[in-house]
Amino acid sequence: MKIFRRRDSGALFVLVLVALFSNAVTANPKFNDKFIELAIYPPEVTLDHSADYQALVVVATRADGVTLDVTSQVEWNTDGVAEQVALEDFTLRPKTNGNGNFTATFGDLVASCQVEVQAVDLVRPVSYRHDVMPVLLRAGCNAGSCHGSARGKDGFRLSLFGFDPAGDYQRLTRELATRRVNIAIPDDSLLLAKSIGSVTHTGGKRFDRDSLYYKKLRRWIESGVPNDLEGAPKVTKLDIFPPHAVLEGKEATQRFVALATYSDGRTRDVTDLVLFRSNNDATAAIDSDGLTKAGLRGVAFVMAQFDTHTVGSQVLVLPEGIKAQLPTTPPVNYIDEWVDAKLRTLRLEPSSQATDEEFLRRVTIDLVGMLPTSEETQAFLADPDPAKRSKRIDALLEQEDFSMIWGMKWAELLMVRSETNRVDYKAMFLYSEWLKQQLDAGVPLDAMVRDLLSASGGSFAEPEVNFYQIEPDTKKIAENVAQAFLGIRLQCAQCHNHPFDRWTMNDYYAFTAFFSQIGRKPNDDYREIIVFNRNSGETPHPVTGKGLPPRFLGGDVPNTKGHDRRALVAEWITSAENPYFASNIANRVWAHHMGVGIVDPVDDVRVSNPASNPELLDALGAKLVEYKYDLRKLVRDICQSNAYQRSTVTNPSNEADRYNFARALTRRIPAEALLDCLCQVTEAQEKFRGLPLGSRAVEIADGNTSNYFLTTFGRSKRQSVCACEVQTEPTLSQALHLLNGATVHNKINQGKVIERLLDKGRSPDEVAREIYLRCLSREPTDEERKQIAATWGEADRPVAELQDLFWALLNSREFLFNH
Amino acid sequence: MFHGNYLDRRSFLAIGSLAGLGVSLPEFFFLRNAQANEPAATSLPVLAKSVIHIFLPGGLAAQETWDPKPFAPIEYRGDLRAIATKIRGEKFSELLPQTAQVADKMTVIRSLTHGEAAHERGVHNMFTGYRPNPALVFPSMGSVVSHELGPRNNLPAYLCIPDQPNPYAGNGYLSSSFAPFALGDKPERNGFKVRDLHLPSGVDPTRYERRRAMLELVNTDFASRITADNIGAMNSFYERAFDLVNSSAAREAFHLDAEDSKMRDRYGRNEAGARMLLARRLVEAGVRFITLTYGGWDHHAKITSSMRRQMPAFDQAYATLLSDLDERGLLDSTLVLVSSEFGRTPKINREGGRDHWSKVFSVALAGGGVRRGAIVGSSGPTANEPEETPISPEDLTRTLYHQMGIRADKELMAPGGRPIEIVNGGQVRKEIVG
Repeated sequence: MKIFRRRDSGALFVLVLVALFSNAVTANPKFNDKFIELAIYPPEVTLDHSADYQALVVVATRADGVTLDVTSQVEWNTDGVAEQVALEDFTLRPKTNGNGNFTATFGDLVASCQVEVQAVDLVRPVSYRHDVMPVLLRAGCNAGSCHGSARGKDGFRLSLFGFDPAGDYQRLTRELATRRVNIAIPDDSLLLAKSIGSVTHTGGKRFDRDSLYYKKLRRWIESGVPNDLEGAPKVTKLDIFPPHAVLEGKEATQRFVALATYSDGRTRDVTDLVLFRSNNDATAAIDSDGLTKAGLRGVAFVMAQFDTHTVGSQVLVLPEGIKAQLPTTPPVNYIDEWVDAKLRTLRLEPSSQATDEEFLRRVTIDLVGMLPTSEETQAFLADPDPAKRSKRIDALLEQEDFSMIWGMKWAELLMVRSETNRVDYKAMFLYSEWLKQQLDAGVPLDAMVRDLLSASGGSFAEPEVNFYQIEPDTKKIAENVAQAFLGIRLQCAQCHNHPFDRWTMNDYYAFTAFFSQIGRKPNDDYREIIVFNRNSGETPHPVTGKGLPPRFLGGDVPNTKGHDRRALVAEWITSAENPYFASNIANRVWAHHMGVGIVDPVDDVRVSNPASNPELLDALGAKLVEYKYDLRKLVRDICQSNAYQRSTVTNPSNEADRYNFARALTRRIPAEALLDCLCQVTEAQEKFRGLPLGSRAVEIADGNTSNYFLTTFGRSKRQSVCACEVQTEPTLSQALHLLNGATVHNKINQGKVIERLLDKGRSPDEVAREIYLRCLSREPTDEERKQIAATWGEADRPVAELQDLFWALLNSREFLFNH
Repeated sequence: MFHGNYLDRRSFLAIGSLAGLGVSLPEFFFLRNAQANEPAATSLPVLAKSVIHIFLPGGLAAQETWDPKPFAPIEYRGDLRAIATKIRGEKFSELLPQTAQVADKMTVIRSLTHGEAAHERGVHNMFTGYRPNPALVFPSMGSVVSHELGPRNNLPAYLCIPDQPNPYAGNGYLSSSFAPFALGDKPERNGFKVRDLHLPSGVDPTRYERRRAMLELVNTDFASRITADNIGAMNSFYERAFDLVNSSAAREAFHLDAEDSKMRDRYGRNEAGARMLLARRLVEAGVRFITLTYGGWDHHAKITSSMRRQMPAFDQAYATLLSDLDERGLLDSTLVLVSSEFGRTPKINREGGRDHWSKVFSVALAGGGVRRGAIVGSSGPTANEPEETPISPEDLTRTLYHQMGIRADKELMAPGGRPIEIVNGGQVRKEIVG
């Protein structure tokens, strides 16, 4: 068997290593360090048929959190179960029925494992569901680039990642009769011959003739291709061991084992049947046997995929002998406790605190999307009050502009836009007004979302129903709800089981069923649409052609009789027990202030995209619930934390890190706020559709209203709920527009700030200082002052020179970025 | 986006860190030019130094253009006649008389096939060479070329006339650095000016220099304290913007009025003519990949009259473009591709139009090492499906990259450290480039 052959060579390699280590143990500092914990995985083993087996992994944890795979170095004591099992190549195999304990000893640490052997004489028949299907997945037969593609490959189609086992059974056994599977002469079956490359196969050789995989497929054909789909136990859980690893130094390794639990209570070692994958090969690549090797410093998530389950284990890779100044500033609140804990584990040194100038500018842009005025800046800098930062945060939270910023962000999420022939401008405008009122009135976010999702009525009278009118497609509505409010992207599962997450097509269609009974009809005014509950209608599952009863994602099937399905799902989403809702909103708020989400992107929560700091995410979500979804309270916590108030200046230990909040990130100011800031400092106003002259860009109601500046700087078009619609990546057009375009140049000329200041009798030097304070919230340095003054020499009214300085300030990186 | 992959930086970001290390601008340009001159990621011969991609949005009917069916019944054939071309025995639609006379410079593929009959999906296929994927947007050919080969002569590597025509003509999962540069104005308009390329009124070059010096001064303090990827990216775009603004050759390339009046007439003073003429000027100046659009071709109704209205301008401009490039000795190094997202149904519908059909349609190529005077594949007697030599979008894009000296097997890095081949599958089709 291929798999065991590889393991053999691994064992040989380990033996050599052990030999090397035995000489070096005392000299190697690794072994002088104190180990505090030893664990055997899996912690319990049940073997329940003659060919059952279970591989073991033993992990030792050092006092500083570093883990070592010591499976090959421990001393095994299997005396207690010597009768029942044999241990070879760190794999247990059954001998006789019974149970007992065995232990592994490493230095002075001991770990034990309980073994139970039953039904040792049982020879299990080969199972289509549990032996054949997993082989097709593991060998890549049903991958998207092979037979799993929509049209199959070379005349043979399988369902992608095996989402339709019954259909696959049909195609395997009924198509190309006697050729694809040949029960009379199993070895002649194309299924086998192609797999081992003994006949031409576009996909090449997938495994060896003497492999476990070949044997399983052959046995299945030999026994007459039995179909055990009816009543076959389901996989209820998949585990990967060890649950986490902290590897030190390049080349450090850790072996992983995967264990499946079935609905009949059985467990099974599926290490040779899962697909192993790492989300970050540079840090921790994993091979097909589950062996991970440390690479570059960083965090990786190694995953195992089996059946419809994907599970992961976090692997941290640290360089050897690293020294870092760990956080010393006392935590301000729970946020810092969790952030600091992570920094200690990663040995990342936080940056120092931002200056008052930096803090004031940053918090003003984040909270109200504007810049502090020169007066505000000077007053803040002169204020000796040690609590002045907190007070400033509170003052900003009270401003109307704070609601505007979040009104805009919610409008992006709810796709507030007009749409030809579907959403009239008036309906859109009322929808936008509804949203604004909710936020102004301080309606708790959960109540607002509950209202929105369960709304019925006319699109003028009950404008929140526009959510169902902007996107009329039932499946897209379900996808939007999952992505916007739970941060889950279900899209993949529309056509096949999600390849990197737990969601199956059944989950998808059962969730879609909540939205399949929405009715729409025009009102007397043709521009108004009435959304109502039809009380009937299903979305057919494409495999079965039938609708599924509504089921909450990862939850129960509610009793829908006599209920509006949408009201039920709205209740479930916004309930305090919902595992996604509060933390998703909290994460969006966090990402707005920190530049990166704890789960990032914020609307892509999945097993294979785990949170960088799960405890922090949970804490923020729990706080939001505790605060009754009062956004201001959560924002206050975030802005008061050390994590938020750090400098953007990096140190060698944190310069490469983006995800652990050891420093503040520089962020390009989003399009609307940037335009507002430009208007603010130049005192030249803008006119937007549907708003009076001088209104702010963040107030624009319609996603379809834009101008060149906003479009070029990445304003969300609100075409989808995706957070990716807001773009802050720089482009050539942005640079050209700021350099030569109408916005900066014309605003300076129109606003006449320079002229007015000079008219008031301010000296050129004072004017320069004023526009520095306006644009950058700081005074010019001595060097800057000297060089700038040199451009106008003796002139007492250097308008053009000062305009050029203004232009330069508005083009500077320091202006464009929040830092 | 993923935690941890610390070294997963975008290539251009190196510039930011160089600036942080105090590398001066001239040094930086030297470094960058040195990189740009490297035959990046390739040892393939470069046959096509530039590409002009003429995209006819909406789904161009092959029956009314490259692949008439004169012997099919009227409901398949349509109202238009077929005329002889410079390729013996092969016919084009009567609306392409001038193009028929330069057919001996072209290769027409009559058997392109992909099976995506919705506009946005077909467009994704034809611009990226990939089938649409709900989880990932792929980069367009122009952005890949920009990524692989970089800018030349201070001009953007990838440019769209007049604007990026659709969401899939962009940088996809690559950095915005490789997004197309859009003119922001229509060349056919009187007084056409590339948006934001010219100094604002009242700012002469001397004053511009003073502004620039002040900008350097203001940026210095910040740059000395803070280095970040996105700031580095912005810096590099500012440098590129200055290059573009300061390069008289670059500005001249956009200056259509500098073109001889007779030449403007030859191309036609209209949408098709102005855009193709500008494309030729940009090729001469050094732009690597130009995408231009002309007209709208989603003819669900009245296909004959719509074709009669739009096709003549295309015919004149396109035939002139090929002849003009050839006369200047540029055709052999410039690949001109005419494509659309898909074709149209074999039968005329009851509105006198044709509906979407992606099983088989035509694209036309010329120059850049493409065979002169060849027809590839066949759509059968009724343009129903490829009868021989089916060509996929993967084949087409792979062949195009090959001509540009780009190995399509190379893997690019998508978010999450996910390596993705430039083209997945397909072959360099010898039928096209012999």
